[in-house]
Amino acid sequence: MLVAPGQKVRSRVAWRGMNSLVGAALFVTPLLMLVGIWAIVVPLFNVNPRIFPSVGSVAEAAVAAIGDGSLIRHIGASMLRVGLGTLLGVLVAVPLGIAMGVSPAVSAFLTPLFRFFSVLAGIAWIPIATLWFGYGFGAIIFVIFNAVFFVVAYNTLLGVSTIPMTIRNAAASLGAGRWALLTEVLLPGALPNIVTGVRTGLGFAWRGLIAAEMIATNVGLGYMLFVARDFYRTEVIVLGMIVIGVLWLFIDRLLLVPLERATIERWGLVRRT
Amino acid sequence: MKTLSLKNLRKTYFDPYAGSQVTAVQDVSLDVEQGEFVSVVGPSGCGKTTILNMIAGFIPYTGGEILIDGNLVKGPGPDRGVVFQSFALFPWKTVLENVGFGPKMRGVPKDERDRTAREYLALAGLSHAADRYPNELSGGMQQRVGVVRALANNPAVLLMDEPFASVDAQTRMTLQEELTRIWQERKPTVIFITHDVAEAVFLANRVVVLSKGRVLDQIKVDLPRPRVWDQLIEDETFKRLSAQVLQMVRAA
Repeated sequence: MLVAPGQKVRSRVAWRGMNSLVGAALFVTPLLMLVGIWAIVVPLFNVNPRIFPSVGSVAEAAVAAIGDGSLIRHIGASMLRVGLGTLLGVLVAVPLGIAMGVSPAVSAFLTPLFRFFSVLAGIAWIPIATLWFGYGFGAIIFVIFNAVFFVVAYNTLLGVSTIPMTIRNAAASLGAGRWALLTEVLLPGALPNIVTGVRTGLGFAWRGLIAAEMIATNVGLGYMLFVARDFYRTEVIVLGMIVIGVLWLFIDRLLLVPLERATIERWGLVRRT
Repeated sequence: MKTLSLKNLRKTYFDPYAGSQVTAVQDVSLDVEQGEFVSVVGPSGCGKTTILNMIAGFIPYTGGEILIDGNLVKGPGPDRGVVFQSFALFPWKTVLENVGFGPKMRGVPKDERDRTAREYLALAGLSHAADRYPNELSGGMQQRVGVVRALANNPAVLLMDEPFASVDAQTRMTLQEELTRIWQERKPTVIFITHDVAEAVFLANRVVVLSKGRVLDQIKVDLPRPRVWDQLIEDETFKRLSAQVLQMVRAA
């Protein structure tokens, strides 16, 4: 079949638009089915609302929480903490990871340490964080920083050490000094791993945040869950859980995935999945 | 005028597997004039790539001297452009940015280095690919970018390490013809490492045969230019010179 060049491009763009629409539908369908089952099961077995709420009561709780502004306040507090902690973690971890990755000896020496602390990242630090920083902002930021820092630093180190020597040599023979090598070669070369690290680290941080907020503060999504428990408000608890899950999906799909697309996939450093 | 001078160059290193010192380069002396195209051939293990890496400054030498325009080589530098067998383009930079990288490192303003890069891309017939990323190009196109990226930095010597070994045979012939054309236009000083005898003779003014870390012999190549495979493949002088070099390499 012969197709004019312009026509071909247009149909490809249209196809891509269709594709992402179909993709979104496929992604949402199982979640909607879960809500459907929930809507059927709760009235069917006449579940005690103190055990599990109905869809309607959660929706009412949502309207109420949005109406009085409390939901936005909790979300805002949680997002601010996760944003600030992540930013701090990335800002410290990336330069450190690159510095360590430049030397094979240093990177080999530090790798076990970073793997060890990557596993511990997040929740396990909450008790000691409250001892060091008291209950509040500092302890929560520390937990998030921790979750992000080790994973990102380790992945950055890994990324730098996987840049082929010939590419570094090419830069050097074109006149790149130390600083240019860092900004033009090591940083972009390690970016695929850095993005992977941030994705994983943010996942840890998000869980760590909710856990830390349950014990160390008086505002935030974790706190919202924990207080609702004291009053047997299962509809508020479930609302909070849904918000936590949906927010994470938004962060991942709208922030991290497009970042990957725009950079490392375009460069051919990872294959599209 | 001598652009490149190797004086009693020597390289030994400790081989941890053998547990002893290994001599990669025994004693190599070589002078290259400005604007000369020198091919270096030899069987694998003769030290040709080691010599190139030492000239490039990627590895230190253990004895002798390497001089570029009279200056001792102490490390990598923009006076020696390198074309790699694996291309070694920056995957995160467009073709235009790859070619403009050398000028950028010299502090050339963006519009000026873009102009330089476009001029060199045109030289290699790559103007249409300026805004593409390396992974979107074929191997042959990537290595064209590799060649003009090194050239765009105006190096005193262009060092080429088996640059066409990883592309298919047809593309290789085209690239070889293009390289002789570009050389005629720009007259860069070139050291071209290869194990392909016909390629060495086809490209060069002079072929240096290496064996066991020493220069075995050198042969002048006075074939007319421009050089085109369709003509040279039947040319008596080309055949004679190729046979001569081949005998040396096989005896090496």
